[in-house]
Amino acid sequence: MTNVAEEVTRLERGIRRWPLRRLAAAAGLALCGLWIAACGGKSSSSASGASSASSSTTSSSAAATPSNAIRIGILSDCAGDFGAWYNADIGGAQAYFIAHNGAKPNGPVPSNGITGGTIAGHPIKIVGYGCADDTAAKALSEVRRLVEADKAQIVIGPLSGDEGIAVANYSKTQPGLTFINGTSGAQDTTLKVRSPNFYRFNGDGAQWSAGVGDVAYRKLGWRHAVVIMDDYAFGWTSAAGFIADFCADGGTVTRIYPPLGTTDYSSYISQIPQKFDGLFSAVGGTGTLDFLKQYTQSRGAFKKNTLAGNIFLGDPAVLAAVHAADVGALVGQPTNEDTSSANAAAYISALKQAYPAPTTSLPKPGTLAGLASSVFTVNYYMAAWALDKALTAVHGDLSNGQAALHAALAKTTLPDAPYGPVTLDQNRQAIVDNYIADVTTTGGTPGIHTIYTVPGVTQAFGGTFTPTTPSPGRGQPVCQKRALPWQGKEQSISVH
Amino acid sequence: MTLGIRQLPRTALIALGLLVVVWLAIKASQGGNTFLQVTLNGTTDAALYFIVAAGFTLIFGLMRVVNMAHGSLYLFGGYIAYVAQTHWYAGGTSQFQLGATSSTSIWGFLVPLVFATLVIGLVGLGIQQLLLRWNQGQDLRQALITIAVSVIIADQLIAHYGGIVESIQQPTSWPNSIVIGTFRYGFFRLVVVLGAALAVGVLLYLLIQHTRLGMIIRAGVDDRPMLSALGVNVQLVFAGAFFLGAMLAGFGGVLGGTMISVGPGLDSQFLLNSLIVVIIGGMGSLPGAAIGALLLGLVQSYSAIYLHFGATDLTPYGVLAQFILVIAVLAFRPLGLFGRPA
Repeated sequence: MTNVAEEVTRLERGIRRWPLRRLAAAAGLALCGLWIAACGGKSSSSASGASSASSSTTSSSAAATPSNAIRIGILSDCAGDFGAWYNADIGGAQAYFIAHNGAKPNGPVPSNGITGGTIAGHPIKIVGYGCADDTAAKALSEVRRLVEADKAQIVIGPLSGDEGIAVANYSKTQPGLTFINGTSGAQDTTLKVRSPNFYRFNGDGAQWSAGVGDVAYRKLGWRHAVVIMDDYAFGWTSAAGFIADFCADGGTVTRIYPPLGTTDYSSYISQIPQKFDGLFSAVGGTGTLDFLKQYTQSRGAFKKNTLAGNIFLGDPAVLAAVHAADVGALVGQPTNEDTSSANAAAYISALKQAYPAPTTSLPKPGTLAGLASSVFTVNYYMAAWALDKALTAVHGDLSNGQAALHAALAKTTLPDAPYGPVTLDQNRQAIVDNYIADVTTTGGTPGIHTIYTVPGVTQAFGGTFTPTTPSPGRGQPVCQKRALPWQGKEQSISVH
Repeated sequence: MTLGIRQLPRTALIALGLLVVVWLAIKASQGGNTFLQVTLNGTTDAALYFIVAAGFTLIFGLMRVVNMAHGSLYLFGGYIAYVAQTHWYAGGTSQFQLGATSSTSIWGFLVPLVFATLVIGLVGLGIQQLLLRWNQGQDLRQALITIAVSVIIADQLIAHYGGIVESIQQPTSWPNSIVIGTFRYGFFRLVVVLGAALAVGVLLYLLIQHTRLGMIIRAGVDDRPMLSALGVNVQLVFAGAFFLGAMLAGFGGVLGGTMISVGPGLDSQFLLNSLIVVIIGGMGSLPGAAIGALLLGLVQSYSAIYLHFGATDLTPYGVLAQFILVIAVLAFRPLGLFGRPA
C-alpha cells in the first residue's frame, strides 16, 4: 500500500514539475529564436529603411534617366557607431557635384538626393545610398544592392574599416566597375587586398596617426603609453600608426581593445594601469563619447598632456559633443581646421553653397560647413572630386569595362585638395599630409590648434608596413625601436 | 562506483569554483584599487540587472508568462526618457551629446524618469490586456506572442530613433564621481543605480511580504485556481502585476540609459541578462533575482579583466564565463538557486 502511495506522490510531483520544465524549455527555445530574430530583424529593418530612401530618390527621376547617365552609388553608415555621420558623408560627395557639376540639392538633408548635374556632358545619376552599420557583412549586402539591383557603375564608399576591406574584395568580382573609397581607413584595404579597381584618395588610420607618438615621446615626455583601440581593422590601423611612431623612439605601450560598439567601458577602464604617462585613444564614433564620459567618472579628468587621440578626438562633431572633456588633448588627423589656405576656403564655401541650412540630420554643429574638417565630409568630397577629374579627362568614357577611367583614376592627383595635396601610390592608396594639433577652447567652444605637420606620409610608413608584414591587430605591430623619416622632424606650424 | 561517476561533474565544478575564488583572491591582493573598481563595476551592473529582472520574475512568478518583450520595454523606456528630456528640457536638437550644452536640472532628469516608467507600465498593461489575456495558460503561445512584440518594437525603435547610441543626462548638479582617498568611482553608478536597486528590492519585499496585495500575489504563485475560487479578482491582480513588472523594465531602461546609453541591441542584451538572472536565481523568486543578478554582474566583470594568464589573453572569450555559471548552477539546482517546483 505504502508503495502505491509513494508512487502516486512521485507521479504527482512529476506532473507538477512538468509545466515548469516545459516553460524552461520554451524559454530556451524562444531565446534561440529571439537571437536569430533580433539579428535578422535588425539588419532587415535598416535595409528596408535604406532601400525605401533610395527608391524614393530613384523613382523621382528614374523615368527620365538618359542612357548616357553616369550611375553613382554612395555607400555610408546610417547605423552603428558612425551612423551619425551618414549625411556628412553623402553631403560631402554631393556638395562637390553641386558646387562644380551643376547639380541641385533636393532640400537641406543630403540623403534627400540631388537632381541635375553633368560630368563631361554626361548626366549624374545617384542611384541610391548604401546604409551600412560598420560591419563587413552589412556593407557587402549594401554595396551589392547598389551595384546589382540599382546598377551603379561607380560606388563612392564605404565609411568604416572592416567595410573597406570587404568592399575592396568585392570590387575584385566586379572588374568592370569603379570603387572609390569613402573614408574607410583600414590598412589592409589597399596594402593587402590591392584591388585594381579600388581607389583610395584618403590616408589609412596609421597615416592619420603619423607623428603623434613621436611628439608625445619627445615633447610631452611620455615613456609608457596606454593605447585603447576599437577591436577591428580601423582601430588596429589607427593605433598601429601611434605605436609604430611611439615605439620607434623607445616608448613602451599597454594595449586595450574593447569591441567596436561597446557602450559600457567600465571593465576596459579598469584595465588601464593606475600609473601611465599618457593615453592614446583610438576609440571611435559614439564610443569616443561613452569612453571619455565613463573615464572621467571613474578616474577623473585627464591631467594636462596625458591624453592623445586619433581623428575622432578632433572631429568637429565629437568636439561639439564633448565640450571641455578633451581640451588639451593631442590629436592626429589629416585635416587642419584652423588653416587659412585658399584651398580650404574654396572647399568650405562649396559646402556652404550646397547645404547652407542647418539640419538635425547632421550631428552638432549641425551644418556641413561646420563639419568641413571632419574626415567624413572631406574624404567623400575628395572622392567625388577625383571621380570628376578622371571622368572629365576620359570624356565620360565608361566603355570597355571602364578601362579608360581606371587608368585615369590611377594617375589622378588632387594638388589643390583642401588640407594638402593628395597623390596615389602604386596600390592606388593616397599619400597625404598629416597634422598634429592641440584641442583648445575659445569662448567655451573646443577647437583645433594645429602645431605640427608631417607632409607626404605614405602608407608604407617609412618601410614599417609592406604587403608581407603582419596586418595591424591586437598585438601588431610589435613595439620596437625603428627609424622613421619624420622622427623629430615634424614641421612646426606657426602661420596658418 | 556509479555514484563516483555521477559525482564527478560536481566535484569538477566545486574544484572550478574554488579555483576561481583563489584566482580572484590573488588578483585582489595584487591590485587593491583595480580589484575594488572591477568589483564595483560588477555590483553596479548587477544592480541594473536586478531592477530589470525583478519585473521579469514577478510577471513569471504570478502568471507563468515568459515575457520575451521585457528587454524591448527596457529599451523603449530609455528612449522615451531620452526624448522627454531632450524635448522638454534641453531644446531637443542634439543627436549625441556629452556633458550637455544646456545644464540638466534635477527635474529635467526626474520627470522623464517617472514619465517613462509610467508609460512603459501602461504599454506593458496594454500588451497583457490585448495580447496575452485571451491566451491565458498557454505558455508557449504567450512566449511566442511576446517574441513577436519584441521584434516589432525593436524594429520600430530603429526606424524611429535610428541606429545611433544616445545618452540620457544626469542632473548637472549631481557630481560626476565620488572620491574616497585615492579611489574614485562614478556617482550615478554607485549611488543612484545601486541605491535604486536596493530601494526596489526593499519595496518589493515589503509589498510581497507585508501587504494584502503581496499576500494575494504569493497565493497566486502557489495556487491560482484556488485563489480565484476564493473570490479574488485574479484578472485585476494579473493586470497589476504586469503593470508593475513592465514599470520596472522602463525604470531600469532610464537608469541604464543614463549610466551607459540607449541604443539598438540593448533590448536583446537585457532580455538575455534577465533570463540568465532568473534561470540562476530561480524563476519567480525575488531573492533569487538579487543573487542571480549579483552573480551574473560579478562574473561578467571579473571575466572581462582577469582572464589574463601570463601572455595568454583569454578576455575576448570572457563572455563564455556567464554561460559556464548557468551550467554550474543548473548542474546543482535544476530549478535555480531559489526555484521551487510549481
